Amino acid sequence: MANHKTVIVSKGKNGWGGPLELTPTEEKKYVISVTGGGIHPVAREIARLSGAEVVDSFKNPVAKEQTLVAVIDCGGTARCGTYPRLRIPTVNVKVMSPSGPLAKFMTEDIFASGVTVGDIELVDSEAAVAAAQKTEADEAVVKNNEKIKETVAAKAEAVEDNSENNGYGEKKGVMGIIDKIAKGAGTFMNIMYQAGRDTIDTIIKNIIPFMAFVATLIGIINYTGIGEILANVLVPLSNNIGGLIILGVITSLPFLSPLLAPGAVIGAIIGTLVGNEIANGNIDMSIALPALFAINAQVGTDFIPVGLTLGEAKPETISVGAPAILFSRVITGPLAVVIAYFMSFTL
Amino acid sequence: MDFMIAIADGFIGMFQAGAEVFMGFMTGIIPLLVTLITAVNALTKMIGEEKINRFLQKITKYALLRYTVVPLIAVFFFTNPMCYTVGRFMPEKYKPAFYDSAVSFVHPITGLFPHANSAELFIWLGVATGYATAGGSQAQLGLMFLLTGLLVILMRGLVTERISAYMFKKQGYERILNEK
Repeated sequence: MANHKTVIVSKGKNGWGGPLELTPTEEKKYVISVTGGGIHPVAREIARLSGAEVVDSFKNPVAKEQTLVAVIDCGGTARCGTYPRLRIPTVNVKVMSPSGPLAKFMTEDIFASGVTVGDIELVDSEAAVAAAQKTEADEAVVKNNEKIKETVAAKAEAVEDNSENNGYGEKKGVMGIIDKIAKGAGTFMNIMYQAGRDTIDTIIKNIIPFMAFVATLIGIINYTGIGEILANVLVPLSNNIGGLIILGVITSLPFLSPLLAPGAVIGAIIGTLVGNEIANGNIDMSIALPALFAINAQVGTDFIPVGLTLGEAKPETISVGAPAILFSRVITGPLAVVIAYFMSFTL
Repeated sequence: MDFMIAIADGFIGMFQAGAEVFMGFMTGIIPLLVTLITAVNALTKMIGEEKINRFLQKITKYALLRYTVVPLIAVFFFTNPMCYTVGRFMPEKYKPAFYDSAVSFVHPITGLFPHANSAELFIWLGVATGYATAGGSQAQLGLMFLLTGLLVILMRGLVTERISAYMFKKQGYERILNEK
């Protein structure tokens, strides 16, 4: 306890969110590094300054109640929102602003991105106390705001409840039927409208940005002739089942797969290149299905501790599960390509 | 001067090529995604998460369903990454295998149901747009991607289940293996 000190983690250059103030306690004494490829220097630095313990979440998972802060390297799809959703302070070493399906959980009080080792500061005790008070005050304000919001929401619900109560049982006969139909239509409209809003939100936040990136990439590749160079490398590997199995083996190697997986970006780029060559007639169409599995044997290997945490797995399960899955991929990755190859005969 | 113009042409041409590809995405894929994703979003809201959860809870005990139907429903309705929360309905010993199975399905499903993992569509779209340009049927490839995906996740789930059982034993976690 004596060695536990408060540190302030600010957002990095071009980063977002923060600053986060972190004080380890006896219960919350672990800095978890969820970065793949060992403990990240940022996690190590936070632990060193604050006196907390740092663990590699892939090897030694920690229960979420004991986690002081999670250090992640996520470009902006799933993982970056997982820990904020559990209200665990999250430090992202990559530069990003809230995005992805869990964007709404990433708030400034719990999330900082673009963080480098230089953005971590030790607070001397007096300043820490003042800062702590300030944070408490801030929290109180936030809580108040939340309360207000809740009351408003509760009131709104109450109003709705009333209207429902009024609607049922009182009116009978034709009027009752009309009432029910109107109510049903109202609910239906609401659901459809909200569904539409969610859809446009995902399209703007997740799909179009990726399209912009891929379209620019394809444009450059096709126009400059880099495409031909890449094709020379890619076509011999992708044009036959043997090459695809090799690709499947490469993408499933336990030390490589967690590095290839984040955001499915590398798989998407190789997929786009293969697709381009299929379109140009350099790669046979029958290769499409096995290729989809060969480029993606690494899927989700970067996300194992997080995915298992979402499934409420115990730390022991995670510590066994992560290597089990990584090892299993070496077998199932190439095997998936073979299955897809035989399935492609039906196309 | 001519040389400069040639450079300028080349520079802007590169991005014009990109713009054409982008416009193709915007007019070809986006409208389809908008309507499809809206419909499925609405369906999920109408059925309700509770009902889906209750159903999943019942069928997780059968290995054949645990690594096919359960991930399919989980990924379809809860989408990536919330689909992994379904792991809480099963004993600890199956959780790694279930995660492996579910996460391996978040791309095969996008061929027909892109709402399930809209942030990572390009694993599928990259290959599929090329396939369509070459004259293939994207819907047919999407269907085969989904069916093959089901076979693959069943195989993957069963293999990972065996490997993790072996490792639980080796690490001395028999307690977890005996948990029902």
